[in-house]
Amino acid sequence: MKKVLIPFVMVAVLVAIPYVGVTAGGQAYLFGVIVPYTAAAIFLLGFLYRMIDWLKRPVPFRITTTAGQEKTLDWIPYNRIDSPATPMQAWVRILLEVFFFRSLFRNTKAELREGPSFTFASSKWLWMGGLAFHWSLLVIVLRHTRFFFAELPGFVQPIEVADRFMELTLPAFYLTDALVLAAITFLFVRRLRDVKLSVISLPTDYFPLLLIGSIAVAGVLMRYVDKVDIMTVKALTMNLAQFSFDPVPGDIGPIFYVHLFLVSVLMAYIPFSKLMHMGGIFLSPTRNLCNNSREKRHVNPWNKPIKFRTYAEYEDEFREKMKKAKLPLEKE
Amino acid sequence: MSNRISTILAFVIAVIMFVAAWFFMQSGDGASAPARAEAPVAAPKEVPIDSTRCVASTEWMKSHHMQLLNQWRHDSVREGNRTYATPDGRHFDKSLNTCLGCHASNPMFCFMCHEYANVKPTCWNCHISPMEATK
Repeated sequence: MKKVLIPFVMVAVLVAIPYVGVTAGGQAYLFGVIVPYTAAAIFLLGFLYRMIDWLKRPVPFRITTTAGQEKTLDWIPYNRIDSPATPMQAWVRILLEVFFFRSLFRNTKAELREGPSFTFASSKWLWMGGLAFHWSLLVIVLRHTRFFFAELPGFVQPIEVADRFMELTLPAFYLTDALVLAAITFLFVRRLRDVKLSVISLPTDYFPLLLIGSIAVAGVLMRYVDKVDIMTVKALTMNLAQFSFDPVPGDIGPIFYVHLFLVSVLMAYIPFSKLMHMGGIFLSPTRNLCNNSREKRHVNPWNKPIKFRTYAEYEDEFREKMKKAKLPLEKE
Repeated sequence: MSNRISTILAFVIAVIMFVAAWFFMQSGDGASAPARAEAPVAAPKEVPIDSTRCVASTEWMKSHHMQLLNQWRHDSVREGNRTYATPDGRHFDKSLNTCLGCHASNPMFCFMCHEYANVKPTCWNCHISPMEATK
């Protein structure tokens, strides 16, 4: 349980830092301007460093995992997505993985039942929870563009309208707010409840979940419960979007600084953590390589050049001796 | 095999979404009988309307005006109760016109903030906005 407690205490401390810093310390400028810029810089540079580092690693051979018929004779239909033959088809596989988590869809669950019998069954819960979580996060991030643009980007408005179409509360209740909290609760409980999972779970698995959960809770509180002054928030975020170092344009409730600080911590944390899967998924060799080992010869680029000797050369060297020994020759 | 399952699941999800969308659309008007106010009751004449000050503090109105307006709409349209009493004993007509009585002097009053924060209220779906009224 220490594995859960440590991240929990860490997040609690991270919540307390800006709260105390702003209410007691009056450090609005630090938490409203300096910390976000620093975090954004760490995020961008760290992300770039990671991606470039990974992109530089050579992947000479096809280690793609296949789940379908490989391209072969013309009259045998092949699976274009699960055993792609061209880079384009491999990209389709990547994008389907990114948007729909097809690997998780294949998730199976092994169980030892009474009998005793060992059974495998399809388990879609992780896939559904993950999908709900990631899509909600995407919609929430897109909704936040309203803070960074003078006018909403055209495609965000329909998303926003769809998100609050239930018109339940005022300010309008966002479906994704509830979804993301439900999904993250499920993903957290899932790690605790299953013994096998809790054994392999690390503090680095719980920490991002708790961090993102706290960000969502702070955001929900700001919107529905302890409201902050949106106009000042927008003035501040527009300043941030324009890379200005002007002082914070007014008083904003401490809960906003908690939200902003946790987001900053998340941004700074991403390059050093498992959350890099957001970039790394595009580089998964088992997903992004087309399965063409039989069509094309892939040579390891750092292999030492091998001196080959053909049979023709061999025969040239020993022709006379072979003739004397009456051995059959290809060339007289 | 998994292809077939995913097709089936996609179909099931599509059906569920269709049913849910239909349900939400219906629940608006069909599910419950529309509540009707007896007859709109005008604010009693003897109630003095004091409009020198706003119904609540600026700070509170900034963050809660949408809830107040929503409550007023519900009270006046659904319950026929059109008089709002502030905690300090002043009375107001629960109407958008009460707000616009003062705030319409600046036709951009609503829009300045709402445009800036990219928040689109539903008020002007039915009401004529002050911006249009002064055109």
